[in-house]
Amino acid sequence: MSEIFNEPFPLAYGTYEDAVKLLNKPGEKVVSEFSVNWEMIKIYCSMVEDGNPSYWDEEYANKQWGGIVAPSGLLLTWPMSLQWHPQKERKHYFIAMTIPLPGDTIINVATNTEFHRHLYLGDRVSVVDELTDVSEEKKTRLGIGHFLTTKAQFFNQRDQLIAVQTNSLFRYYVPEEES
Amino acid sequence: MSREITFKYWNEISEGDAVTSITMDVPFERVILDAAATQDYFPGHHNPAYARHQGQKEIYLNTMAIEGFIDRVATDWAGPHTFIRKRQMQMRSSIYAGDIIQGEGKVEKCYQDDGRYLVDVSINISTESGLCVPAVLTLELPAAQPS
Repeated sequence: MSEIFNEPFPLAYGTYEDAVKLLNKPGEKVVSEFSVNWEMIKIYCSMVEDGNPSYWDEEYANKQWGGIVAPSGLLLTWPMSLQWHPQKERKHYFIAMTIPLPGDTIINVATNTEFHRHLYLGDRVSVVDELTDVSEEKKTRLGIGHFLTTKAQFFNQRDQLIAVQTNSLFRYYVPEEES
Repeated sequence: MSREITFKYWNEISEGDAVTSITMDVPFERVILDAAATQDYFPGHHNPAYARHQGQKEIYLNTMAIEGFIDRVATDWAGPHTFIRKRQMQMRSSIYAGDIIQGEGKVEKCYQDDGRYLVDVSINISTESGLCVPAVLTLELPAAQPS
């Protein structure tokens, strides 16, 4: 039984051949809209109930790291685009969303991240990512589609490398008889 | 309620040591908080109809929430002086609103590399339905307790 949802998630549509043409072409560097801030760090830590004083206690964090640091799991959040902006059109910074393929939805499959240094309050993150692999069509228990692998490099405002992340997701559709 | 903070040092850790287990419930509220906290408004994380359209049974936690929980399992055990050098994780099954998650793990390897004191730990995140997210982390720790 299909159900109605407000609107489909905006993705680029095309063929496997269209996607292959975009392999190993880094996208534009995206600079985050806002800087690393303590308020968002606290909200995130409250979500996973993480009481690590590196995120909550200035005295401890100053002594251990030289300041409050951002949890590693917030890395992808800093460059997220706002839901609305008076001048800018909302767009994905994840290159995976902009790869033309037939599937109308995605699910993340694997994420590997190497961290080089901490992010501190006030830092401004930028990211460059590229498509490094796209599979031929596969059928899984969720549906039919393609596995995409991307590599993203995250920097601070001094162009120091913060982290490198390799991500795999499944771009797919649920066949009609199963939806 | 404040929790006790533990500090482990590299020279106190051995291969095979257990990583202390943590359990956390995942009510709808936490999944919605996840979308807001991570600014990830992909509809599978807040719209049940969309999640079902995807072949999922309910809205589910995003990768960043799971990363945060995995990291918490590691640093609650090893201490806040831990620097997470590497995290590798596979999303084998989604974690849905209504689930209870458990994170547990063990030390796989203790070694030195380029002057760093490192510990590899495997951490598995499970629900009542079984293993959802296996992960391996490389943690950098102080070599020994300062005298």
